[in-house]
Amino acid sequence: MNPRNSLMIFGGGGLAIYALFFASSYDQRLLTLSGIYVVLVLGYQFIFGHAGALSLAQGAFFGLGAYTSGILGSQYGAEFLVTFPLSVAAAVTIAVLVSIPVLRLQSHYFALATLALSQLLLLIAINWEPVTGGANGLSGVPPVRILGWQLARGLPLLSFVWIIAGLAMLVSYWQINTARKAAFTVMRETPLATAAFGIDRSMLRFRAFLLSAAFGGAAGALFVHTNRVVSPETLSFGVMITCLTMTVVGGRFGIPGAVIGALLLTHLPEWFRGLQEYYLVAVGVLLLATVVFAPNGIEGLLRFGKSSPKPSAGTATDEKSEPADIGGSELIATHLSKRYGGVRALDDVNLRIQPGEIVGVIGPNGAGKTTLANILTGSATSDAGTVTLAGHDITHAPEYQIAQLGLTRTFQTPQLPADLSVRDIIRIAQADRPAANTDAVLRNFNLLAVADMPCGTIAHGIRRRVEVCRAVAAEPGALVLDEPGAGLSPEEQGEISALCRTLAENGLAILLIDHNVAFLKPLVTRMVCMESGRIIADGTPEDVLADPRVQDAYFGVTTL
Amino acid sequence: MSQPSLHVESLTVSHGAVTALRDVTFTARSGEITALIGTNGAGKSSLLRAIIGLASSKGDIFFQGDNINHLATEDRIRAGLALVPEGRRVFPGMTVEENLLVGGIRGRAERRLSIDEVYALFPPLADRPSDRAWQLSGGQQQMLAIGRALMARPRIFLLDEPSLGLSPRIARDVAESLKALTEKGAAVVIAEQNSGFVQPIADRTLTLSNGQMALPD
Amino acid sequence: MPFPLGAAYALVALGFVLVLNATTAVNFAHGESVVAGGFTAVALTFFLPPDLRIPGLILLPGVVVVTAVLGLAIGALAYLPIRNRPPVSVFVTTIAVGMIVANGLNATFGAAPRTAPPLIGVGTIDLIGVSISRQSLVIIATACVLIGGLAIVLQRTQLGRQFRACSQDPEMARAIGIRLTRITLLSFALGTAFAGAAGLLLAHQFFISPADGAPLILKAYIAVVIGGWGSLRGAALGALLIAVFEVGVAAISSQPLAEGLLYVIVLVVLFLRPQGLLGEPQQVRA
Repeated sequence: MNPRNSLMIFGGGGLAIYALFFASSYDQRLLTLSGIYVVLVLGYQFIFGHAGALSLAQGAFFGLGAYTSGILGSQYGAEFLVTFPLSVAAAVTIAVLVSIPVLRLQSHYFALATLALSQLLLLIAINWEPVTGGANGLSGVPPVRILGWQLARGLPLLSFVWIIAGLAMLVSYWQINTARKAAFTVMRETPLATAAFGIDRSMLRFRAFLLSAAFGGAAGALFVHTNRVVSPETLSFGVMITCLTMTVVGGRFGIPGAVIGALLLTHLPEWFRGLQEYYLVAVGVLLLATVVFAPNGIEGLLRFGKSSPKPSAGTATDEKSEPADIGGSELIATHLSKRYGGVRALDDVNLRIQPGEIVGVIGPNGAGKTTLANILTGSATSDAGTVTLAGHDITHAPEYQIAQLGLTRTFQTPQLPADLSVRDIIRIAQADRPAANTDAVLRNFNLLAVADMPCGTIAHGIRRRVEVCRAVAAEPGALVLDEPGAGLSPEEQGEISALCRTLAENGLAILLIDHNVAFLKPLVTRMVCMESGRIIADGTPEDVLADPRVQDAYFGVTTL
Repeated sequence: MSQPSLHVESLTVSHGAVTALRDVTFTARSGEITALIGTNGAGKSSLLRAIIGLASSKGDIFFQGDNINHLATEDRIRAGLALVPEGRRVFPGMTVEENLLVGGIRGRAERRLSIDEVYALFPPLADRPSDRAWQLSGGQQQMLAIGRALMARPRIFLLDEPSLGLSPRIARDVAESLKALTEKGAAVVIAEQNSGFVQPIADRTLTLSNGQMALPD
Repeated sequence: MPFPLGAAYALVALGFVLVLNATTAVNFAHGESVVAGGFTAVALTFFLPPDLRIPGLILLPGVVVVTAVLGLAIGALAYLPIRNRPPVSVFVTTIAVGMIVANGLNATFGAAPRTAPPLIGVGTIDLIGVSISRQSLVIIATACVLIGGLAIVLQRTQLGRQFRACSQDPEMARAIGIRLTRITLLSFALGTAFAGAAGLLLAHQFFISPADGAPLILKAYIAVVIGGWGSLRGAALGALLIAVFEVGVAAISSQPLAEGLLYVIVLVVLFLRPQGLLGEPQQVRA
């Protein structure tokens, strides 16, 4: 058994024994509160930890759950079996509603929008007196009662809350399986490449946001049935800050982090009693210090020799698209144009790449080569023109779908999350191809030896190979490689060339962008030269390189 | 007879796992133009950025005999180095005059003197001091970027692809102004993939390839 | 009358943008900096002889100095150590600083709203037939002087040019010899001092309590979204619009409704224009 697991078991066991035999009724109250916060923090980990988005609405979801249960319980005498699901539903409903405007926002705006939502709900709670009880809130919320059986304070309530917390842990564990955890990591650390993996970024964010809301609502309901009153306090920014502090201090990613954070922060006031009112100042200092000195929280500090990622057969995305035909897909671009401000990045570009062809694109800086790659693969949109892949119009398809349809790409700088292993990377890329054999692909690319190494630790030349392997693992019909030879030694460039040749022989249509004519010339079957967004030459490498316009644009007039 | 003004000794630059520059050694002398030729990705920009301190590097960089590789970028500029980066990077929202003035780090009096010299060197800039930098043509932006760097009165002047996007006539003007600089005793280092621009004015030509200095031929 | 409130909001929003431009990060402690400015005024009043009725405006230099030091501390502790991490980290560290300031004030002064001494006397002044409260007039005048001073510094001085260069292209600013770290810390000091001055101006007429930080940062933030991310002129304009809206709606209905509507409008604006109201939609080039 690894030390991490034994720590968890001993810690959990110790905690249970303490709760059962040694805790005073006041201690039991604190432990009950901790259990509620565990649920809240587990929820927050989805959006803040895994999705990497600073939501400031977690407190609002908590308050929403609290008010739903509070109103139903105190005004209508509803039972826990009614209030609890409705609290979760209320939070999820609001989350769905605001997710439409909010989820596509970039980080700064996302934080603002979620904060505005929280303040809005707080204002409503204070001012909608007939329903919410105004600033005083509502008292007389019944305790947890299930089918007429009422839970007593103390141990029964404590156990019940921790059972719910345990269920929350199970849901969290089930939702964040190895494959999805890896997909989240890709989205967080290499946002540019997310879609190239065939991952639907907005769906993943949506899922995280809804889960966080559901957990927030659940925690709020538990809180209100424990406290027996509901007040605007539950919606105040203080709850949000408490939750954020627990998550940051405990850890953003794991169940142990949530438990540690919740337990620590609920017991801190006891230990800081000497500071009296200033203890919250101390909590602020703790939060600041944790971010600066222990970015992954206490859980990060406790990570004894990270266990190597275990192979698992999970899938990252639930929807599947049709697998691409074995062999290749013809890629056709017609009349593509694109402007950035006043600059014509692409100007009426026409290009056709047939299966088995390797087409090299050369051209000076700013000629539009990368723009072309971005538009073909859907990470940028064209102003005019169409792109088809094997006859399907993919001009307006989202980037991740284009990848799933069988057009994948690599980037100038390999986009590989440092913490994921090579095998993880390939497995995420194959999430849509359950039948695909990861080891076979790794073997083909001569990557078996490094399969379990984190990408951050492997050499640049091999990373490049991993990226090409990632692009090929999804069994695409066409491939766009953006400067695959850059920064490689001649030997490593040779390896990449050989790989490209094999892939083309298997029928892939390959578009290869590179500056290095010496690298391209022997490799490509056709060469295209771009300048100022236009294609100025298209033909065999010899013809294109001999073209005077190419000489002029690319090499300068006087040389060669 | 000219002094070795800048001497780079076994310089290595790595970006994470990528080694952009491997064990590069070269010397630039005052009064000379040194051309660094290489294709894109050969390591030219990394070399210039390492010399100025924007990229961290292993190895030694001697400026007039002192190793400056521990200095912050700001202090290297004060010591007498200047860089005109690839892509010009003028401050787009500031006027021509402001772009020049902000480069004058040697006091107010010096600043006025330098700006007159820059205007004399690049008359098109003198014609439109209050225009925003983004309104200038590519060639004028290049003049502005060079002028801004000159405001610090450098003795080592590093230029990354200065001819990119310039018409041949303007490129010739720029080349002449660089030649004029060396006559005042500065050392000029020009990195280009287009050897057509730099060949006629270079006193020495070095070739970078795959992050390494090719042997002089 | 919305103008005194608008003038104070404008100071808050300008301070926020100064830091934003220098760091591309949101300083979440900015609202608490306003509160800190107000409470500095309250605290400094203890040192004034109570019977002399000294105008509160003479506290301005003291408030500015104290909050500038607070700004330096925020920059040095909550930004510089993590400047290379994702912007979310700065959010969290500045939230932590805000928490420290708010709870520190709460523990020291209590949670109840406090008031600072009137800026200059009380009563009204007759101005072309309209009677205006002297407080309001002084708030507007002081804010105008500070904003005008900032404009002159940014437009006319070498320091101002350096500020702007650093916000447009920080790496290039270093490459021409500007000491980026120093300018960044100065931005924190100046931005927070603006917040502090706003706190002093607000603290008599509108009261100030330790928990006021959240709505204040939210309004500065909204002003910046309305005015265009990073635009100083836009932020001041946005702040004025917010105040006009708040006071206008409150006059015909209630303050909470005004505030609530403001937040609804923000969500709608973000839905229709995810890049802000006046901001340019920007394309990310891979």
